[in-house]
Formats: sequence, structure tokens, C-alpha cells
Amino acid sequence: MRKLAIAAAMAATFISGTAFAEYPEQTINYIIPFNAGGESDVSARFQQPYLEEISGQSFVIQYMAGAGGAQAWSQLNGMEGDGYTIMGINLPHTILQPMEKDVGYETKDLTYINFFHYTPNALFVPKDSEFQNLQELIDYAKANPGLVTLSGSGSNSANHLGQVQFDELAGITTTYVPFSGTGPAVTAILGSQTTGGFNYVTSGVNNGDGMRMLAVASETRVKAFPDVPTFKELGFDIVGGAFRGVAVPKSTPEPIREKISQMVTDVNNNPEFKKKMEDAGFVLTDITYDFINDFVAAKSEEYREIAEKLGIANR
Amino acid sequence: MELLGYFVSALTPLNLLMALGGVVLGTVIGALPGLSATMAVAVLVPFTFTMDPATGLIALGAIYTGAIYGGAFAAILVNTPGTPSAIATTFDGFPMAKRGDGSLAVTLATLASVVGGLVGGVFLLLLSPPLAKVALAFGPPEYFWLAIFGLTLISALSVGNTIKGLLGGCIGLMLAMVGVAVVGGDIRFTMGTHTLLGGFDIVSALIGLYCIPVLIDLVATPDRHLKVEQGKRGIRLLEAFGLTWKSKFNVLRSSVIGTIVGILPGAGGSIAGLVSYSEARRSSKEPETFGKGAPDGLMATEAANNATVGGGFIPTLVLGIPGTPPDAIILGALLVQGIKIGPTLFSQQGEIVYTFIFGLLIATALMLPAGLLIGRYAYKSIASIPKTLLVPTIAFLTVIGSFAIHSNLHDVTMMISLGVLGWVLNRCGFAPSPIVLGLVLGKIAEQGFVQSYLIGNATNNITGMFFGRPISLAIVALAIFTVAYPLIFAKRKEKAKKRALDAARSYSQSNGETTVQEIEEIKAPPFDPLAGLKKQIAKPRDVSGMVVSALLIVAAGWAYSQTATMSPMGSVFPSTISVAVIILSIMLLALNFLRKPAAATGETETASVSRRITLVVVMAGWVAAIPVVGFASAAIVAFLILSRVACYEIMGPKRQLIEAVAAIAIVGGLYLLMAKVLLIRMPSGFLF
Repeated sequence: MRKLAIAAAMAATFISGTAFAEYPEQTINYIIPFNAGGESDVSARFQQPYLEEISGQSFVIQYMAGAGGAQAWSQLNGMEGDGYTIMGINLPHTILQPMEKDVGYETKDLTYINFFHYTPNALFVPKDSEFQNLQELIDYAKANPGLVTLSGSGSNSANHLGQVQFDELAGITTTYVPFSGTGPAVTAILGSQTTGGFNYVTSGVNNGDGMRMLAVASETRVKAFPDVPTFKELGFDIVGGAFRGVAVPKSTPEPIREKISQMVTDVNNNPEFKKKMEDAGFVLTDITYDFINDFVAAKSEEYREIAEKLGIANR
Repeated sequence: MELLGYFVSALTPLNLLMALGGVVLGTVIGALPGLSATMAVAVLVPFTFTMDPATGLIALGAIYTGAIYGGAFAAILVNTPGTPSAIATTFDGFPMAKRGDGSLAVTLATLASVVGGLVGGVFLLLLSPPLAKVALAFGPPEYFWLAIFGLTLISALSVGNTIKGLLGGCIGLMLAMVGVAVVGGDIRFTMGTHTLLGGFDIVSALIGLYCIPVLIDLVATPDRHLKVEQGKRGIRLLEAFGLTWKSKFNVLRSSVIGTIVGILPGAGGSIAGLVSYSEARRSSKEPETFGKGAPDGLMATEAANNATVGGGFIPTLVLGIPGTPPDAIILGALLVQGIKIGPTLFSQQGEIVYTFIFGLLIATALMLPAGLLIGRYAYKSIASIPKTLLVPTIAFLTVIGSFAIHSNLHDVTMMISLGVLGWVLNRCGFAPSPIVLGLVLGKIAEQGFVQSYLIGNATNNITGMFFGRPISLAIVALAIFTVAYPLIFAKRKEKAKKRALDAARSYSQSNGETTVQEIEEIKAPPFDPLAGLKKQIAKPRDVSGMVVSALLIVAAGWAYSQTATMSPMGSVFPSTISVAVIILSIMLLALNFLRKPAAATGETETASVSRRITLVVVMAGWVAAIPVVGFASAAIVAFLILSRVACYEIMGPKRQLIEAVAAIAIVGGLYLLMAKVLLIRMPSGFLF
């Protein structure tokens, strides 16, 4: 009996060993839990040719939008864990959603592999807005509580958190108007439907001619916008935005997880990729598989504090 | 002439090949419900990185425009919009096919699509920067009113049955509320399940509501699906040209509407089709023929939805705001290629942009020969294919199509459930189209309303927000005009109708009840305000309608109680709709209490109930079996069972063999299209 077990174990190691050595040997499906055209899609599109070059396999980007990403994340662990299905994953989304309500997954159930970039929040106004800098907007908002309307993508999102923090630290009251994605939220700013809006820095690159960026919520200034001050420089401790990376189904074997993380890191180290991403307003990060869980745990603590202030930390 | 130079550079053999191949592939994908332009474009984007940017863009644009056009095939031939843009195509396209004018319908759809596509493309070529401003002028109130305008079409779709039409619209609106709310973030009406978190997918709902009833009714009788055309009339190109020429204003107006709606990032092809359908009906001399196979209705929708392709590229290229999901993917492809989007694109990278636009125009023109050729065989094969193959093939398409949307079996389950529900409701007098309108327009209406309210409230100007903006007011006026027009001009029509009726009277004996009622309507004095009510009460009591309204009151009551725990933003729309459902249902109940019970008709149902039930059971079992035995094997087994269910004749062994081979070829071909071309991961059980 014992011999049989050993033989089985050896066979398993052998089979899996060869399988892992070859990985990847077929097309990899890269599922984006949002609609096409958003930051998650665009950054995956940037990665696609480099990932294909490194792995020698094609990467197919598919969209599974719904419930702000929860539709896809709640199904991730039910998918095949053979390394040929990977999924885009975002913070703070996967922390805030389960914190607020039962959305079919818990933050710790997900298998995070690598966060490869980050898009800071930024405060935008239309090009022809009367507000030339942040202080002018704050002064106006102080004089007219509630009158300033700020668009953003969705309720309880990174954009929404930015607006809440801004209100609190600047001692003002603004009205947050949620839209069904960054695209419509930016359109509302461009068309002066709202006074301004919280959106990701990347939107400033695509629509640079129509909007003015008043401040950016990152630690240091963003390379694509060297002239735009950070909130910190202006005296408001607001650092926020969205981290994006890849995740896999829980059943994916360790060696494959490491291999995927390595591929993502390799792409990040490609100077050509780096330049393209930075020109488009993305900030590259390198949060690899070995310490990603500590990173998510630390972020969870951080977001819980903000979520409690917002009154959405229900669970 | 600079533009001419770009035109010549678009004419390389490779570009032409890409345009033709793209259009053909797009048409096939669009014709299969569930497979979308978004999917095809998403898969093909990486291939275009190896090409010259303009050539790659031409290939993507051609697939996109082909897919929008291809949606008409499924709409005309099996009453199921192949893409949401073709919703209004079913209204008249399927009745035309049903009566034997299927090839005329396909040819008309082709001509209208080509004209619409060209008009949209010309606007894109010549007027992009100024037109892009339209996208910015549309704020939340405009989207709200546009959705309301779309909903007014319900009144036209349910003449003589308005309460049921409105209730159907409300059912659709309620379905649209299910899931996580964009504004407010509430989880609504999921009944604790996670499968409903993302709400009802519009495409799977379309497939279910339109296609499953067709299947259920197909197996119930041995009658043919479509009437076969008399004699050899081919594709009836000359006749179609004549009709299009006669309706040139309709086609052009619809193309312009399509272009403008296409420019709006939040709207899209389905709304363009619905709005221009509504306009075509309003301005028609024979609005009563709409919904019964009016070529004008079909042409309006098809011209408009293909015009949205060119229109949608306007904000995409000028502002970097994608008009539709395929535009979003193409925008991503441009960014990855390092092309800087914005107004300067046209001046600084004119070579790429103009070559692309000309390529798109050429692809649209190539749709004419390609479409006519495909259409010629599509109609013939659907009309002449035996039921034993047609039923399982359509059933397989519904399953594979709803699965493909998210690579997810939940959508298939949802599709079948909604389909059965839709069939039952349709039998009780609730047509599927108002439900679909509610479902498609619900989210746009809700978000527009809540956003307008939030902005209006912040600026202390709620009334001004909704009623003080010129574009909003224009849309409101159009909506009122559309609803009121038939009433204002009813009198003028009365006279014309009377004349026509005298001639038609001889038919009344043979046609029975419905025609007799119409005579009563004409005889009623036009100034009696209660005439409509009296006419309604004169109808026999509708017991099934009463049962449905009672159930709706219960459902709406439950929905209303659920809104108590929601945020104010998330609850305003669902609670209003619940109240509307309750009021309308009570009206319907009261009306029926006043009616006399229907006389026993002695009519016996000739259709086979057992076959209908078997079909639904087989399809449910099919979905359940997929994760166990695998997608392909479940499909082949279900295919063979369904062909038995649809079989009304004794087949010789030779035909059985041929059909078995055909079954494997159809299942295998579509499976390979999904797994190998669109690269969707198919579920595999212990078999394959």
C-alpha cells in the first residue's frame, strides 16, 4: 500500500513536473472583469504583445463585465486552474466590495499574482473652467457648500473615496455624481455637465486638450504630467487610485503562479513597454507573488479606515 | 485634392482584401445571436499589430460594420436580433419573411445598411470635429429623455392593448434594475444569489425572449417555419431598389438619426434603430402596416444601425471617448500603437485616419455584393431546411450564443428561463418587444434621472435641469408628438379608412372577429371620450391577463418592500416602477371585471402541448448536462433528441443518416468557430 502511494506520488511529480516545465504551451485567456476601453483593458492590451513575445503563446483578452467586476471575481475560483485562465484584478475594488456587502467572494479567497501598475486619482476640471488651481476650487466650494459637482466612476469606487477624502481634508462639501465608467465620467467633465471630477491620471492623457488637471493623488508627481502638483504638496494627505494586476483560480499550482508573476515582471522591465505605459499616464509597480498577500493585507487595513469613515464597512 | 490621395492609398489590394474578408466574417458573426462584433474585434486586435495601422483599422472597422449588418439576418429569418442593434428589425423583418417576402426583406436590409453605413462614413469623413461636440452637449437629462422617447415606442407597438404594453415595459424596466446599481451601489432584487449580481444580460435576454418562443411554437405544429416563395423570384433586387428609392427620405432621415445617436457615447445602435423606427412610423402614410411587415420599418432600422458605425467613430477619434464597445477596443488598439487621439489626429496623422475612413467606406460598399450573396443562400436554406434540422440548429445557436457572451452557463440558464417566461406572457397578451425596450432603456433612463437629480439638487435647479435645456426640450417635444400624433390625425385618417373599409368589408365574413371589431371602432363617434373605454369593455374577459396582473401585483409589492433598505439614489426608480406596475395591474383587473366572461369557443388546440414541454425539458437538461459531459457531447445528444421532437414524418434510413451527418457538421463547425476562432474556453466534462 505504502509503495503504491509512493509510486503515485512519484508519478504525480513526474507528470506535473513535465507539465510545469512546459508551461505555457497553449493560448492563455486573459479575462478583464470590465468593459473594453477602460484602464484595465488598455493596460492589458499594452501587455499583450510583450507577454506573447516572452511566453511564445497568444494571450486572448476577453471581457466579463458586471457588478463593478464582482461578477467575474466571484466566478474566478470556479474556473480551471491550469494557468491558461488568468484574470485582471483591481484594488481597492476587491477589498471594498466584500467589505460592504456579500458579493460572492471574499478578499482573501482570491489568488493575487502580481500588481503591475497603479493609476493615481486626479482632480480634473473642464478646460474653460474658471478654476485655475485647486485653491480657487476650494475657496468657491467653501463659499457655496454642495454646489460643486464632481463626477466619477461608480459609487464606493476609488474615485468616490478620493472625493470623500478631499471633502474631509479640505473642509468642504461637494456633490459626488456617479457614472457608469471612467468614459462617461470624463465625458461629463469635458461637456461641463459637472463642475469637475475625480478620475484616473490616464484620462488626462487621452483627453488632455479638453480638461485641466488640478492635483494628483500620488506620492510624487506623475511622469506624464510633470507640471501638475500632488495633493500632498498642496497640504492634503490624499494618496489614492487603483492598483491593477493579475489573479488566477485558487486551484492553480504554485509553480505556475510563480511563472505568471515572473512573466508579468519581465514585461514590466521591458524599456519599450515601460515608456509606452508611462506616456499613457500609468505608474508601474512591481508587487510580485512572494509578497503580494502582505501587500493586500496592508491595503485592507488602510481601506477599512477610510471605508469606516464613509460608512460602508458593513462586514 | 488631399482627400483623393488618401482614397487612392486606401485602395491597395491588401486593404481591399481586409475590407472584404472583414465584412464577410463580421456578417457571419453578427448573424449568430450572442456572438458580437466586440468579441470578434477583441480577438483580432493583436493580429492587426503586425499590419500597417491603417490596414489593421480597416480590418477591424469592416468586421464591426459587417456584424451590425449581419444582425438583420437572424432578426428577419428567426425573429431574433443577431445583435441588440437589430431589435427593431424583428418588428417588420420577421413578418415579411413569414409571409414569403424573406429575400426581399434581406435585400432591403442590405441596401438600407449600405446607404446608412455610407452616410455615417461620409459624416465621419467630412464633419468629425464639429459633430463631436454633440457628444459633449448630451448630459444626463438628455440621456434620460432620450430613453423616455425610446419607451414611447411601446404605445405604438401595443395599439389596442396599451395597458399590457405599458405593463410589459415596466417588467423590462424592473428586470433592468436587477443587480448592483451603478448609482448608489445598492444590490437590488438578487434574492440572495450571486448569479444575479451582474443583472440580466441584454443579449441573453434578447435571445431568450425572442428565440425560445419561436422554438416552442416551431415544434408544436408540422407547419413550415417560413412560407416558401412562389416561383423563382431570386433576390428581388430591382423591386428592392424601387422600394428604397420610394423611401429615400425615410432612409436618409434614418441614416442621419443613426449617425447622431451613434455619436452619443451612452446610446448605441439599439436606440438608433428604435428612434428611427419610431420616426419612420410617425411620418408614414400607413403607420398601421408597421409591425406587420412594413418595408419602411425595416429599412429605417437597418439604415440607422449601420450609420452608428461611422457616427460612433467620431467621438472615438476626436475626443478619445468610445461611442460603442467595439469602438472602445479599437481605441485601445490605437493607443497601443502609439497613436495620439484627439482633434489633432485628423491634421497630424491624417494619413492613417483618412485611409481608415476610406477603407471603412469601401468595406461598407462591399457589403452590397457580399450581403446579397450571403442573403440569397441564407433565406433559401432557412426556408427549405427540414424542421428536424432547423429546430435543433436554432436551439444550439441559442445555447452557444448565450454561453459565448461571458463564457458562462448562468447566462444560458437565464436565457432559457426568460424565454419560457416570455412565451407564457406572450400567450397572455404581453408581447416581448415592450419588455425588451424596458430592459434596454431602463439603465440609461435611471442613471440619467438620478444624475440629473443630483446635479439639479446641488445647484438648486431641478426643474431647470429636466425642463430648461434646449436639447432636452426638443426630445420631450418629439416624444409628445410621437404619442399624440396618431390621436391628432386620427380624424383625418378616419375618412380614408372608411373608404378603404367599404372595399374590404367583403373580407370580413371570412376573417371573423377581429375585423368586426374594427368596424365598430370606425362607427364610434370620434368625439366620444369614453369610446375607447367602451370598446375595451366590449372585449371578452381575459382570464389569463387577470392572473398575470394579480401575480404582477404580488411581485411589485415584494419589490416595493425591498426598496425600503436601499439608498435613496438606488430606490427612487424601482419604487416608482413598482407603484406603476401596481396601478396598471389594478386597472387591467378592473377592466376585466367589467367585461363579460368569454363565451366558450369550442376551439380545440391543434398544437402539440407535449412536444412544447419536451422541448423546454430537453433544453433545461442540456444546460445541466454541459458541466458533466462537456459542451460538444451534450450538444450532439441534445441535437439528436430535439430533431426527434420536431419530427412529424417517417424518415427513411438514408435521410436519417444524412441528418445525423448534418448534425455533427453543424455542431462541430460552430464548436470550432467558438473554440478555435473566437478562442472561447469551452466547458469540458468527462467527455469533450
